[in-house]
Amino acid sequence: MRILIVEDEPDLLRSLAQALREEGYAVDAANNGEDGLFNAEGYDYDAIVLDVMLPKVDGWEILKRLRKTKKTPVLMLTARDQSRDRVRGLDTGADDYVVKPFDLSELFARLRALIRRSANKTTNVIEIGDVKIDTAARNVFLKEKPVELTAREYSLVEFLALHRSEIVTRTQLYEHLFDENESSLSNLLDVHVSNVRKKLGAEFITTRRGHGYCIE
Amino acid sequence: MKMFKSIKWRLQIWYGLILVVVLAGFGFTAYQLERGRTLGRIDNELHRRVGILANALRRPPPRGPDTGGPPFDRPPPGQMPDNLPARNQRLPIEFHLPPQAADLFDTNDSNGFYFLIKSRDGKEIARGGEVPQSQYAVWGQFEISLVKINREPELKQPPIWTLDGFRETDDILPSGEIIRVGCSIAPELKELHRTAFSLTVVGALILMIGLAGGWWFVSRALRPIENISAAAVKISAGDLSQRINVAEAESELGQLASVLNSTFARLDAAFAQQKQFASDAAHELRTPVSVILTQTQTALNRERGAAEYRETVEACKRAAQRMRKLIGALLELARLDAGQERMKRMAFDLSQIARDCVELVKPLADEREVKILAELPPLEITGDAERLAQVVTNLLTNAIQYNHPGGEVRVKLASQGGLAILAVSNTGDGIPAEDLQHMFQRFYRGDKSRTGENAGLGLAISKAIVEAHGGVIEVSSEEEVGTTFTVRLPL
Repeated sequence: MRILIVEDEPDLLRSLAQALREEGYAVDAANNGEDGLFNAEGYDYDAIVLDVMLPKVDGWEILKRLRKTKKTPVLMLTARDQSRDRVRGLDTGADDYVVKPFDLSELFARLRALIRRSANKTTNVIEIGDVKIDTAARNVFLKEKPVELTAREYSLVEFLALHRSEIVTRTQLYEHLFDENESSLSNLLDVHVSNVRKKLGAEFITTRRGHGYCIE
Repeated sequence: MKMFKSIKWRLQIWYGLILVVVLAGFGFTAYQLERGRTLGRIDNELHRRVGILANALRRPPPRGPDTGGPPFDRPPPGQMPDNLPARNQRLPIEFHLPPQAADLFDTNDSNGFYFLIKSRDGKEIARGGEVPQSQYAVWGQFEISLVKINREPELKQPPIWTLDGFRETDDILPSGEIIRVGCSIAPELKELHRTAFSLTVVGALILMIGLAGGWWFVSRALRPIENISAAAVKISAGDLSQRINVAEAESELGQLASVLNSTFARLDAAFAQQKQFASDAAHELRTPVSVILTQTQTALNRERGAAEYRETVEACKRAAQRMRKLIGALLELARLDAGQERMKRMAFDLSQIARDCVELVKPLADEREVKILAELPPLEITGDAERLAQVVTNLLTNAIQYNHPGGEVRVKLASQGGLAILAVSNTGDGIPAEDLQHMFQRFYRGDKSRTGENAGLGLAISKAIVEAHGGVIEVSSEEEVGTTFTVRLPL
């Protein structure tokens, strides 16, 4: 899952990005509205965490412009807690609204819910044959036994599971699993796929030659 | 009694009283006029008949030259009638009523005129028509009439009176005969009673219509007051957005409503500003708190190295410092607002203070490669040196921060018209006109972002300090050229 954070307070931006990375997300960070909008329009993020008060282009404006082209789930982050601000945010096209100061665990839960909803899933648990994925606890079970996956491997499984029966291209995977700072070594993805197959069974992920990967 | 305390009722009662008096006066006058007219007509008839009867009393023509006037005339004014009976005795009276005159006393006629003629000694000479019996029980009336005429010779008309529904008059001839003519005025009296009744009914109707109209009018006139009071009640209940509906702006109450509305608007604005201030203050505190929360929660998620912990602690320290600064500024503003912050009143050299401030901001200016040009002739003013130094430092810091590297900051002090004028200008980008008017507003920052050292309270504090000294602070700016802040203080 790849997430964009647009926040102008440097300390907050840094710790948010770090916390989200530690949660296994690929994170891009922008510290002003202009860069934020550029990123948001350029990639298909799984979610955007957007501060309202921003230099250059403010959160409302980013949201308004972004909604013309993309349906990316947006979580507004703001210090304004008056209901008219919330109403405005939701009406402009925000998918959720978190008021500062917030609890990290709450922010994470809301992000998970946003991503889940955008993939049209209603629960945290996805079952595919013998494999069960708990997206809230970020655990994977094979025949009811927990399977140890690295954060990146888990993200790969989750992304493919959320897009079940769809063919996911390598580019898409790169875009959603790695952030802009990571060099996209072409064989890194193959390594992750092969590790997942070792742990969850070779037939769990199907390769479509020339297209990408898929979970049937 | 609440009813009589209400203006509406009091107005109504006064109005009703005045209406009653006017109507009663009018009705009484109308009745009197009608009565006078009716009786006057009857009286004329009576007098006419008296005249005819007097002529009907025939007597031989007088032989004496002493009577110059017509033979059967009444005695001239001032003439004593005592000498008349002697002559009368010698001249016997004949009464002959012509037939056409007798018609005037027809018993079948509804007019019902009657007459009775008596000699001086009370002997009846003639009578006609239906003389009511009861009337002549009061024969003494004759004497009264006689006395009256004798005593008041200037009385041209014989007396007329109304008794038991009869109108009567007497005439006393010079020869002493008394002619009494009367008629029943019962129909006329009845008619007059009807008139009185009609007047009363009409008066009562007018009174009712008047009272109803007055009630309507008073209610209408007082409705703005009800509107005003309703709006005031809502406002006192906390809904400051209420306004009085001013339909008639021209009337006195309309003007009052307008005045109240503008008061409410100012009150509303003041409250809104206060609310905005509180909300802004909370907002400013939220971001550093978010930093601390996020930093600590992230750090505590797992074991970390010393360097990472150090970074977290440093970020928390920065956030805390930012909060401390903000809280200090908020407290200062609150004290200035409440007037608790007493300004010292001491004479000092403002140029010296300004020079100290320039020294203070020098490191910042050097860091930003900004040159400070000071033109500070000695100028003594009275005030709080420490506070004014705060203002100057704030203006200088802003001028440096919003400047280009290599730019200039000019600080100039002058005295003009009893005022000390301190101008701080820079060569920055300038401030757009739409931001200029908000410059001294709390938490206002042109770029809308909340990042940076300043919370946007510096200028608001400076303004409060300058105003506490009885001065003014102004800003003027030209985009791409620079901005000038001018402080005017009374010497």
